[in-house]
Amino acid sequence: MKKLLSVLVASVMMCTALLTGCSAGEEASEGGSASGDIMVGAIYINSQNDTAGYTYAHHNGITTAMENLGLSTTDNLKIIDNVAEDDEQVGTAIDQLAGQGCDIIFGISFGYINAFAEAAEEYPDIVFCHATGYLNNDTNFNNYFGRIYQARYLAGIAAGYKSLELGNNNLGYVSAWGTEYAETCSGINAFTLGALSVNPDAVVHVNQISTWGDQELERQAAEVLISTYNCCVVAQHCDSAQPQIVANEQGVFGCGYNSDMAADAPDAHLTAPVWNWDVFYQLAIETAMNGEAADFYTNIGGNYYGGLSEGMVDISPLTDNNAPEAAEAIAIARDLMVSGEWDVFSGTALVFSGEAGSVSVEQVATDLVTNDGEVIVAAGGPSVDDGVIQGSMNYYVAGVIAEA
Amino acid sequence: MKSFHLIRRSDVTLKQKVLLYILGIVISFVIGGIFLASLGINPIIYYRDMITIGLIGNRYPAKCVEGFLKLFVPLIITSVALSLSFKMRFWNIGGEGEFITGAIFAALVAFKLGPVLPTTAVIPLMGIAAALAAGVIGFITAHLKVKFNTNETLVTLMVNYIMLYVIKYIGETKAEWNFFLRDDSERPVFAKFPESAMMPGIKIGDFTLLASVIIAILITVGVYYYIKTTKHGFEVSVVGDSTNTAKYAGMSVYKITVRTIFISAALIGLAGAFTAASSGTISTDITNNVGWTGVIVAWLSKLSTPAIALVSVLISVLQYGCQVASASYPSIDHNFADLMQGIFLFSILAADFFGNFKIVKTGGKNDA
Repeated sequence: MKKLLSVLVASVMMCTALLTGCSAGEEASEGGSASGDIMVGAIYINSQNDTAGYTYAHHNGITTAMENLGLSTTDNLKIIDNVAEDDEQVGTAIDQLAGQGCDIIFGISFGYINAFAEAAEEYPDIVFCHATGYLNNDTNFNNYFGRIYQARYLAGIAAGYKSLELGNNNLGYVSAWGTEYAETCSGINAFTLGALSVNPDAVVHVNQISTWGDQELERQAAEVLISTYNCCVVAQHCDSAQPQIVANEQGVFGCGYNSDMAADAPDAHLTAPVWNWDVFYQLAIETAMNGEAADFYTNIGGNYYGGLSEGMVDISPLTDNNAPEAAEAIAIARDLMVSGEWDVFSGTALVFSGEAGSVSVEQVATDLVTNDGEVIVAAGGPSVDDGVIQGSMNYYVAGVIAEA
Repeated sequence: MKSFHLIRRSDVTLKQKVLLYILGIVISFVIGGIFLASLGINPIIYYRDMITIGLIGNRYPAKCVEGFLKLFVPLIITSVALSLSFKMRFWNIGGEGEFITGAIFAALVAFKLGPVLPTTAVIPLMGIAAALAAGVIGFITAHLKVKFNTNETLVTLMVNYIMLYVIKYIGETKAEWNFFLRDDSERPVFAKFPESAMMPGIKIGDFTLLASVIIAILITVGVYYYIKTTKHGFEVSVVGDSTNTAKYAGMSVYKITVRTIFISAALIGLAGAFTAASSGTISTDITNNVGWTGVIVAWLSKLSTPAIALVSVLISVLQYGCQVASASYPSIDHNFADLMQGIFLFSILAADFFGNFKIVKTGGKNDA
C-alpha cells in the first residue's frame, strides 16, 4: 500500500507542476492569436475526420476557403462534431463556440434551423450561416445552399446519351428520399429532364432507401435497379459510392454524387454532380472579416444560392465511358445556365440533336408537367428554381417512375 | 504450470479504496494523455479545458455553466430513478423509452395548452403528464414481470425501441394532424413550444438558474430519504434481496414492485419533460443516451444516492468538457470524447475490482 501511495503522490505532483507551468505559457500565446484575426466556428452532423460524404465535403470547403484566405485551420477554426439535430444539443454547441470567441458560425445540417434562428437573436455580434434551411434575419443570419440541380441536369445529359448508345431507355436512381425532400426530388427531376433532352423515351426508375447513408441499402437498391428494372445507368443521391461500385461490377454505367467517383468505378462512371462548398465559405468568411455582423446579410447579398455560374456546383470531368456526343451537349447546356439565359425548371425544354462534332440545341416551349399530369409551369413560362432551393418542390416530373 | 485465482479481500479500508479510485483516474488521464500527445496535442491544455468545462478565457461563462447543467439534470434524475429499480433487482434498462415517453407527453401538453395557459400552469401540467405517461409504461413492465414472470430486461429494452420509433414517426410525418411540426417548413422539423411552456428560471446576472436544476436536487435528496428512512424504501430492499422473505413478512410483492417501478419510470419521464421544456422542443435525439449513461452511473455509484450525485457531476464534466476541449483541435472529433469516457470507466472498474479481489498464483492442480 505504501508503494501505491508514493506512486500516486508522485504522479499527482507531476501533473500539478505541468499544469501550472503550461497554463502560464498558454495564456501568452492565446493573447497573440486572438488579435485581429477572425475565428471560424463550425457545427457538423458527422465527424471532421470522415473521408467521404456530406460532412467531409463541408469540412473540405471550410478548410480550403480558410487556406485561400491565409487563415490557420488549427488556430482560427473551432469545430464541434457529431451534433445531433436536437435544439438543446445544437444550442449548447453554439454557446460553446460563441464562448470560445467565434465570430462566424456555420451549421451544416437542416435540423439545426431552430437553434440557429434563436442564436442569431441572442448573439447579435456573431454571424450565423445555416445550410439547406429557409430561415434568415436581415442582419447577422443567412441561409445557404447551391443549385446542384443544374449539375444534375448535366449528368442527366450524359446518362441520356449513354442510354441512346445502348438502346436501353431505363435509367436508375438510388435516392435517399423522394418527394418529401425538395433536395432529393429536385435532383431526380433535373436528372430526368437532362436525360429527356437527349432521349425523349428515357424513364428514370427511382429506388428510395429512406436514409441519407447506409452502404448496404445503397448497394441493394442499385442491384435491384439493374436486375429488376434493367437500368443501364445508375445515378445516386446518397452518401457512399456503393451504387457506382455495383454498376461497375454489373457492367452498366453510373453517375456518382458529391465527389468524383471515377476511381471507385473506373469502367462505369460517367460524371458526378459535385459541390464546391469553399466558394460560399470563402465569400462568407471574407464578408464577415470586412464588415460588422449586423451588416452581414446585406453585405453578402442575402441568402446564398450559388450555381454553375458561381462555381458552387459543377460536374466532375467526363470519363472515357461517355458517349461521344455528351461533352459537346453538356458544354452547350452549361453555357446556357452560366449565362443565365436558361434554367432547368422552366417552361422551355432543351432538345439536343446531331452527331458528335455537330451537336445542336433547340429551345422548345414545353409545359413542365408532373408525372401525375399536373402542369407546374406552362409552356414558355419562367423558372421555378427558387422554390426548389427553399424547399417547396414536392413532385416528380413526367418521366420519373417511383419504384418501391 | 501455474494458474491464477481470485480471492476476495476484506482487509481494504475505505481510505485505501478511495486511493485506488484516484489511482484509476490518474492512470486513465495518463493513457488519454499518451493518445493526445501522439496526435500532437498538449494533454495538459486539453485536460485543463476539459476539467474547467472551457470556462478559462470564455466570453460567455454563464452559458457554459448553463450548458453543463442541461447535461447534468437529466442524467442525475435518470440515474437516481434507475437506482431505485435496481435496488429491487428489477433491471429497468428502459430509461431511454421512458424518457422519450415523458418528452412526447410534455410536448403534447406544451403545444395544446401552452397557447392558452400561463407558465405556472403549463409547466406543472407538462411534468404531471410526462410522469404519468412514463409511469404507466413502468407499471406495464412491472405488472408483466410479477404476474407473468416476463423478463423485465427484454421488455424494457423493447419499449425503448417502440418509443424511439414513435418519436421518429411523429418527427418525420408531415400531416394535417401533426401539430408537433413547424407549419412553415416543407421538410418535417419539430416546432418550438410557445413561450409559456419554456422552463422558467431565476436570473442571477447573466446566468439563469433553471427551476429544473433545483427540482433535480430536491428529487435526489427525496429519493435518498425515501430509500433510507421510509417503510417503502425498506420494502424495496427486502423484495430485492428475496421475494420469498418479503412474502413471508407479509409484504405484497406485486404492490411493492409496481409502485417502485411506477415511481422510477415516472421520474425518468419527468426528466424527459424537463429536457423538453428547457430546450423548448423535442427531437429524436432528445435523450442524449441518458437512459444508458444512467445505468452506468447507477452502477458505478453502487446504487448509493450521494455517490450518484458525485458520479453524475463527473460524467457531465467529462462529456461537456471533452466537447469544449475538442473544439479547438480539428484532429480530434467526438469519438475521442467517447474514447476518454471508456478509458475512465474501465480504470474505475479496474480500481473497483482490485479493491475487492486480489489475484494469487497457485500451483496448478486442474491443468490436465
